Amino acid sequence: MIAKTGEVTVDGVKVEFGQGETLLDVSNRLGRHVPTLCHDERLAPAGACRTCLVEVEGVRRMVPACRTPASDGQKVTTANERIDKHRRLLLGLYLTDHPAGRSDCEDGAPCELHAMAANYEAPTDWTPIPLTRAGRSEDVNPYIQFREDRCIACARCTRYCDEVEGVNAITLAGRGAATTISTVDSEGLFDTTCELCGGCVAVCPTGAMAEKMPLTAGAPPERELQKVRTTCNYCGVGCQMDLNVDTQASDGKGQVVKITSPPPGTPPSDGNLCVKGRFAYDFVDHPDRLKVPLIRREDGELHEASWEEALEFAAKGLLRVQQDHGKDALAFVSSSRCTAEENYLVQKMARVAFGTNNVHQCAAT
Amino acid sequence: MAGLVATFGAGAMTNSIGEIRDADLLFVIGSNTTEAHPIIGMEMKQAVKRGAKLIVADPRSIWLSTIANWHLKLKPGTDVWLLNAMANVILTEGLVDEEFIAQNTEGFEALPEVLAKYTPEEAERVTGVPAAEIRETALEYAKTRKAAICYTLGITEHSHGTDNVYALSNLVLMTGHLGDASMGLNPLRGQNNVQGANDTGATPIFYPGYQRVDDPEVQAKYEDAWGVPLSPEPGLNLNEMMKETGKSIRGLFVMGEDIVISEPNVSRLEEGLNKVDFLVLQDIFPNETTRFADVIFPAACFAEKDGVFVNSERRMQRVRKAVEPPGQARADWEILLDLARAAGASFKHEGPRDIFAEMARHAPKFAGISYERIEELGHGIQWPCSDDDSAGTTYLHEGGILRGKGLFEPVEYRPSKELADDEYPLVLSTGRTLYHYNAATQTRRAAGLPVKQPEAYIELHPRDAGRRSIEDGDWVDVLTRRGKIRCRALISKQVQRGCIWMPFHFGEARANLLTVDEGDEVTGTAEYKVCAAEVRRVTSELAPKGEGQEAFYPGSYYRE
Repeated sequence: MIAKTGEVTVDGVKVEFGQGETLLDVSNRLGRHVPTLCHDERLAPAGACRTCLVEVEGVRRMVPACRTPASDGQKVTTANERIDKHRRLLLGLYLTDHPAGRSDCEDGAPCELHAMAANYEAPTDWTPIPLTRAGRSEDVNPYIQFREDRCIACARCTRYCDEVEGVNAITLAGRGAATTISTVDSEGLFDTTCELCGGCVAVCPTGAMAEKMPLTAGAPPERELQKVRTTCNYCGVGCQMDLNVDTQASDGKGQVVKITSPPPGTPPSDGNLCVKGRFAYDFVDHPDRLKVPLIRREDGELHEASWEEALEFAAKGLLRVQQDHGKDALAFVSSSRCTAEENYLVQKMARVAFGTNNVHQCAAT
Repeated sequence: MAGLVATFGAGAMTNSIGEIRDADLLFVIGSNTTEAHPIIGMEMKQAVKRGAKLIVADPRSIWLSTIANWHLKLKPGTDVWLLNAMANVILTEGLVDEEFIAQNTEGFEALPEVLAKYTPEEAERVTGVPAAEIRETALEYAKTRKAAICYTLGITEHSHGTDNVYALSNLVLMTGHLGDASMGLNPLRGQNNVQGANDTGATPIFYPGYQRVDDPEVQAKYEDAWGVPLSPEPGLNLNEMMKETGKSIRGLFVMGEDIVISEPNVSRLEEGLNKVDFLVLQDIFPNETTRFADVIFPAACFAEKDGVFVNSERRMQRVRKAVEPPGQARADWEILLDLARAAGASFKHEGPRDIFAEMARHAPKFAGISYERIEELGHGIQWPCSDDDSAGTTYLHEGGILRGKGLFEPVEYRPSKELADDEYPLVLSTGRTLYHYNAATQTRRAAGLPVKQPEAYIELHPRDAGRRSIEDGDWVDVLTRRGKIRCRALISKQVQRGCIWMPFHFGEARANLLTVDEGDEVTGTAEYKVCAAEVRRVTSELAPKGEGQEAFYPGSYYRE
């Protein structure tokens, strides 16, 4: 944080703030959980969802905490009867054109709106409003679908596309209750500047931007999946990601059915992923995977073998080359795709078991 | 890598990825960052949004060049001319950081004489970049303190790749843009664990932690640790191994690489593989190389094993097992332990945790890193991290350059090994796209990526296409002295006239049948970025049938 520029009082607690901090930033730092639906720390504040309204002493109307700069001497209240009533009614209104049952709504990603509504005991029995938001069901891209019935027009997705990914592929379109997420001329994402990073899916609070990958579509809801934090296996950025595992699938061996990103602020990738990281994981379960050791027998063909036989065959074959042609007639190509431990073992094996420094990883520069 | 070890004392990004957004100037050379490193590309976009200046040097137009303040569209392989001319301007204008040079560097005296002939005007003639732009960008770079250079394989995949790195090092050292946040020299790593493979000693000249195999003290340390006599002779590098395959190399073990797709001049390599006595492969999929193998071990993929990947910014991060491998496949580390034991070695390891611990114990740069500390600190640990009190290093060279003194290595331009001529008048470069990864063993098996980018293509400038009566989407043959492949033509101004570009991901149109295997003298890295080529339209009766035009989505920014 940059130098302190003043002091505000939040719910009776005095707290210093720095240059550029908003009331939301200060409240969060204090652990006062002001609810938000349109906020993401990677994005400029929009003040669109109105759930973060708070009271500032001397100001008649409530103000959005996310886009109100902290200023010296402010006295802020983040929760009281008036604020809670506002949030309850607002969330009740949001629910009138949203899938009614929480478990129906959360068939894929969890729904922040339903969670928040439950938290504030918002009314769920108001007469539903017919949906006027247009969808784009004709979009044939294989990854990302827009489920218009779940959209609350918070514009996290369009702002992410603009401010973080920087490609401006999707945009808010229409007015009033018909406001929707669209593209230029409602084209499919393949025909736009979209790079299929899936950031829109990651930032969406309600599952309106959703994955349509076959594995994900057939999987249990995200809340039933086990998340395993790991490092992406493609380029050298080392993005952090959560493998979402259906532990019951594949006869209990488990199956990766989705990849989600960690929260913003997580190094080194700030919660971002690219098209490969987020979507190119179904190779894991591909039927082409090698599943059994193979050795080339006297007929010149590859045949299945036991591990014991294959390991012995391999060790003998390499040792025979060493005997016939010397230690430096062997070469070991290690892999920049494998782990540090595995690269360590390849060089140790080359040097210790076979006596040569002819070892190099595949991506030497 | 070797270039940076020589000049700075560490072969890695000097800065962290998160510092890029705070830079005031980014000089991106030989890196199509938004496609090859999309998330670092996002950081660069943030910097530009904040007001940072962006200089892109690349023979092709790329996404980043569309938002750059300057796009230095140099001819392939002329980087040394461009960089030396920038250094010449900085010197002539008196913008060198004399204090930094005096305190932190050596060898500066030799630089001015070498640079003298690299004037911007002469550089314009060779590189095609206007002298005025060379001047402007050199001044801008020299005058901006938080200036970071990022480069990738466009710099290193040349027969003079190390020279290119030296030329960049010289720019950094003469301006003193080193040793603080958001300034420095950053090679962006192409693979998830290139950095880690180098770090852990999978190189012919280093044990783990960049300790030389020909250093007697180091040799003694590892002989003691491992309990066997070790060879003090540096081994062959990858490029040499591939060239010697079938000659002095008679047996190979290859883990996780499809060498006959990824290595250059593969028809020669295939001849060599036919002659070797024994080839062991270890991989997750059958690939183009499996037809030469005597044994194939089925391995687990990243989701099926524990371990550590080291990213481009030296961050050692955990990989965690989420699911079981298919069939009888096993983690590479398990297979390696058993293979080493079957060959008579006594490897007493239980698993990744204690393998890592042994690696770190004997390498001072990593001595403070362990699985326990990675968990404890939460977000991986960036080396150097020499003891348990250190939280790692976000940017290098803070309290002085790791080498002791930064070394100026003046370089003269050397042309690429194969230049365009009458018979092969075009210059071919190869590269990666956003939608595929290397040999595409994974991405072409993913549900959606092949739809977005289903087949191989070659980018061709409209003028070059017109002279050959080639239209967009036509089938063409791409020819070099080493081979011929067939793919589709993408007519695009993304490439400059006289240059063609193609991705190397596609097994049915292997770009590496075309490339030269002449390597850099220091690293052995092959010149994937420059060779002479010709393109010919394939008559319609010979063209492959069945694919529809509508599936052709190569994703060019400059389609006609």
